[in-house]
Amino acid sequence: MTTAQLDKMRLELRRGVLVLAVLGSLKQPHYGYSLRQQLQQGGIDIDEGTLYPLIRRLADQGLLDSEWQQGEGRERRYYQLSTLGTELLTPLINEWQQLNGALTHVLGDLVDATKNVTSATNKPKGNP
Amino acid sequence: MELVKRYIAAVQRELPEQKREEIGRELNANIMDQLDALSEQQGELTASAVSAVLKQLGHPRTVAQQFVPPLPIISSAYMSLYINTLFMVLGVLFVLQVIGSSMAWLGSANMGLLGYLFNLARGFMEDAYFAFTAITIGFWLMSRKQPEPKSCSTKNWLPEQLPAAGQTWQHIKLQDIFTDLATYIFLLVVIWYPQFMSTEQLANINMLLSDQVMLILQWATPVIALGIGCSLWQLRTRLWNKNRLIMNVVVNFHFAGFAVLIATITPLLQVPVVSLQKVFTLLQLERTAVIVFVVIALITAWEVVRDIWRLRILGSTH
Repeated sequence: MTTAQLDKMRLELRRGVLVLAVLGSLKQPHYGYSLRQQLQQGGIDIDEGTLYPLIRRLADQGLLDSEWQQGEGRERRYYQLSTLGTELLTPLINEWQQLNGALTHVLGDLVDATKNVTSATNKPKGNP
Repeated sequence: MELVKRYIAAVQRELPEQKREEIGRELNANIMDQLDALSEQQGELTASAVSAVLKQLGHPRTVAQQFVPPLPIISSAYMSLYINTLFMVLGVLFVLQVIGSSMAWLGSANMGLLGYLFNLARGFMEDAYFAFTAITIGFWLMSRKQPEPKSCSTKNWLPEQLPAAGQTWQHIKLQDIFTDLATYIFLLVVIWYPQFMSTEQLANINMLLSDQVMLILQWATPVIALGIGCSLWQLRTRLWNKNRLIMNVVVNFHFAGFAVLIATITPLLQVPVVSLQKVFTLLQLERTAVIVFVVIALITAWEVVRDIWRLRILGSTH
């Protein structure tokens, strides 16, 4: 498999999950850059070109409320979950948990094998 | 910050007018936040550092497309219908063009076979350009007005209404039907158009085939009419079944017979008007014509054998 193929599949895999991550993070208000920082700190690295249009799309769908505010001498657009977004978030989290559980079950042995390979690769040379 | 302004302006130029202001304003705020964070780490930013940040964001057109993804000209819900309509209309136009060009050919004293083919291709291309543009614009308007068709056949269907699974060869291609139709109509025009001409007109036209061949071709008219009927029948449901195969065998069997009969006739060609005699001898032309009819007979005979074999396969599977 080429790197391009892997990148494409990774992108497809992440697409739906990113929506959930963004909605979950916007329980508190954030502007674009601060949201990206928050996601990065949580271990989700997402480039600006994907994140900013995604927030706008979710806002257009009525899942987010937005407001321009002045802060640190500059205007910023703050986003937060709307009532509709809050209503949808709970069933989406349930769906994700169910899917995650099912996938863990389906992938079972493969996940363990991958973990073993990763730990063996990361183990320092010379140590038993 | 001149670079940022230029970048935002470039993105805005790629956006629809009603979204330029808002997206530009938001993109500017996001970039400034990013540059602020970078300057906290690195101190005052150089033009090349700003340029690197903008380059990482992506080409202005790519960024604009991420904010407002371009809509396809024709919605995917209409695509299959669009392609079928296009093929049907182009097929009909081809058949009509064959009729028109054949009449022009027979009615002209100067037009040779190459002239006829050129006239056919030119006329068809002219009609096809117009039809393609008109159909595409029509579907574009439909897609814009209503992205999903109202009466969608993919919603109201029953598995029981689907045809039997069958073999892959059972699907009849649309272009095959229209090629057959064009051939039949061409033959009808060639056979019957001279009958409605005055003696003066007849004297001026290029009669390639001898009177005896033309007479046999006239006898073939009912078979040609049957062929047209079969093609129209295939158009209703584009799937080979037992009855359609039997009809095809009957039509092709007769065509093979007529082709063999014509190949045995001497002379095949009209002697006085064959202008090609300047290049080839009459004997060479006659021999070529015989070969052409033998090849036609062989092709149609092969189709008869193929369809009988297919009938046997259908018989054994039911």
